Amino acid sequence: MAGAGTNRDGWTFRTEGVTKVYPNGVRANDEISLHVEPGEVYGLLGPNGAGKTTLVKQVIGLLRPTSGRITFGPHDLVADPAAARQLCSYLPQAQLPIDSFRAREAIVLCGRIRGGDPAVVERRADELIEALDLGEWRDRRGIALSGGVKRLVGFAMVTVCPGRAVILDEPTNDVDPLRRRFLWRQVRELGNLGVAVFLVTHNVAEAEKAVDRLAVIADGRLLAEGTPSSMKAEDRGHLRLQLMLAPGADTPELPPLVKGSTRIGHNLVTVIDEVDATHAIGWAEELLGAGVAEEYALGATSLEDAYIRLTGHGSQDDEGVR
Amino acid sequence: MAVAVAPRATRPGAPGLPEVRAGPRYWIHGYWRVFVWDLVDIRLHLPILSAVLILQGAGFVLGIGLFFRHIPQAAAIYVSTGVPVLSLLTVGLIFGPQIVATQRTEGSYEFVQSMPVPRAMMTMAWYTVSLIPALPAMTIALLVGMARYHFHLDVTSAVVPAVLATSLTGTLMGYALSHGITNPMTTRLASLSLVFVLFGFSPVMFPAAQLPHWLAEANRWLPFESMATIVRGALVKGMVTGVGRAYLVVGAWAVASALVAARAVGHRS
Repeated sequence: MAGAGTNRDGWTFRTEGVTKVYPNGVRANDEISLHVEPGEVYGLLGPNGAGKTTLVKQVIGLLRPTSGRITFGPHDLVADPAAARQLCSYLPQAQLPIDSFRAREAIVLCGRIRGGDPAVVERRADELIEALDLGEWRDRRGIALSGGVKRLVGFAMVTVCPGRAVILDEPTNDVDPLRRRFLWRQVRELGNLGVAVFLVTHNVAEAEKAVDRLAVIADGRLLAEGTPSSMKAEDRGHLRLQLMLAPGADTPELPPLVKGSTRIGHNLVTVIDEVDATHAIGWAEELLGAGVAEEYALGATSLEDAYIRLTGHGSQDDEGVR
Repeated sequence: MAVAVAPRATRPGAPGLPEVRAGPRYWIHGYWRVFVWDLVDIRLHLPILSAVLILQGAGFVLGIGLFFRHIPQAAAIYVSTGVPVLSLLTVGLIFGPQIVATQRTEGSYEFVQSMPVPRAMMTMAWYTVSLIPALPAMTIALLVGMARYHFHLDVTSAVVPAVLATSLTGTLMGYALSHGITNPMTTRLASLSLVFVLFGFSPVMFPAAQLPHWLAEANRWLPFESMATIVRGALVKGMVTGVGRAYLVVGAWAVASALVAARAVGHRS
């Protein structure tokens, strides 16, 4: 990773006070300022409707900020959206339109459109097919591919000849766990090439492992920015007690040792002090005995706890804090 | 700015990272690459699209003859030389907006719009692709008309600009429609409505004199009658007048559509 301040060749990506107000008055982005260095994998986390996609569309020149600046190295991307399209590769959340394309063909064509040298594009397409374990489908048409395989082909299409920034919006949607690991390895490879990678997601667990730094966005505002460790710093000295409640069970009354809680479906996630671990286990055992809970797990706090604290949302669900 | 792809790579064979490119080579490269992309994109549909256009053209030429026991020669020539206009417009004006509406529905519109190619070149690439099924269909319709109604054409070199201008204007109108209207359903309905306007209320396969006066007058300023005039004028002698004015009308629609399309595609509100 290229840490903050490393700034290879001056290709720092910056947004300064980016605000986007849609014609209907919705303030989708509100004074968002951040920077990403070449080689960094930068997470953009937030619940649905947080303003992540709006920010991305402004970066690639599909939307104009109401105010604020977006620069990439020497280029002003707001004033020059054509430069934005050349410098940034974009994998949207939706599947790419490749029904008529064979998988390898789509990857190669994308690389050629991005101006890649034919020999390099051909070789790299084969490397990506192998690295993502797509060999079985290399000559299949998009229409015959499963959602997960199509997603991986889309990833290869936008990274075969990457821009200086690669923006990945929920890249692992529909992808099986094994190939997700292959994909994350390639994301890291992009960083090694000097690409600034934007990972847009609401899957905090995956982001925690993949990103160098991240920003949490909610209601269009940047709530926090930093490394995963710094985000979790506030939760040091705490543990996470997760209870799987019995179907139909109401949220039980919380004892004073519970510092915070979120219910996501049948899961009740609570945060406790380390010193209260023994008492917390006792409480959890009581709930099991009473049939309110079916199982529990005690562990270290994660980035997800910080995310919940900041946004009031679980990463996989939009049910709020109770 | 310089045309270059930075050669900096961290290992042999790794892709370099791009600089911002500009200039004729970048434009030509973008045109050619998107042309290939569009061609591959519609290749599964291309045979059936070509067949539909051929059947549409030949069907009109032969079908209208069935309305008459003895179709007048002038009417046969009028119909046969009007059908090519329909062939030239169907892909750009009707099929193109349907594709863009589908991209919007499926969420891939942003990906296509994020391609690092000048927008004008993307338009020209699609225009070129739209000619591929249209030209054979147009030719076959004319040959079928000549075989069935025993007339001869006086094809002049003006057929080249006439065909290209007609098709380009149709493509640009389709572009303006598909990018100017953001609601996919509205785009689909608008392009389908144009089918009825084109086939039913535009003097393409029949003389304007057969329309109500107000509709004939309106068609003097709409593009379809003028398209038919310039195409027909390049195919037969002495059948049409006002070819120069027709080129002006078609040209005005092309420019207006290009402006609307450019504004819609570049509009970033």
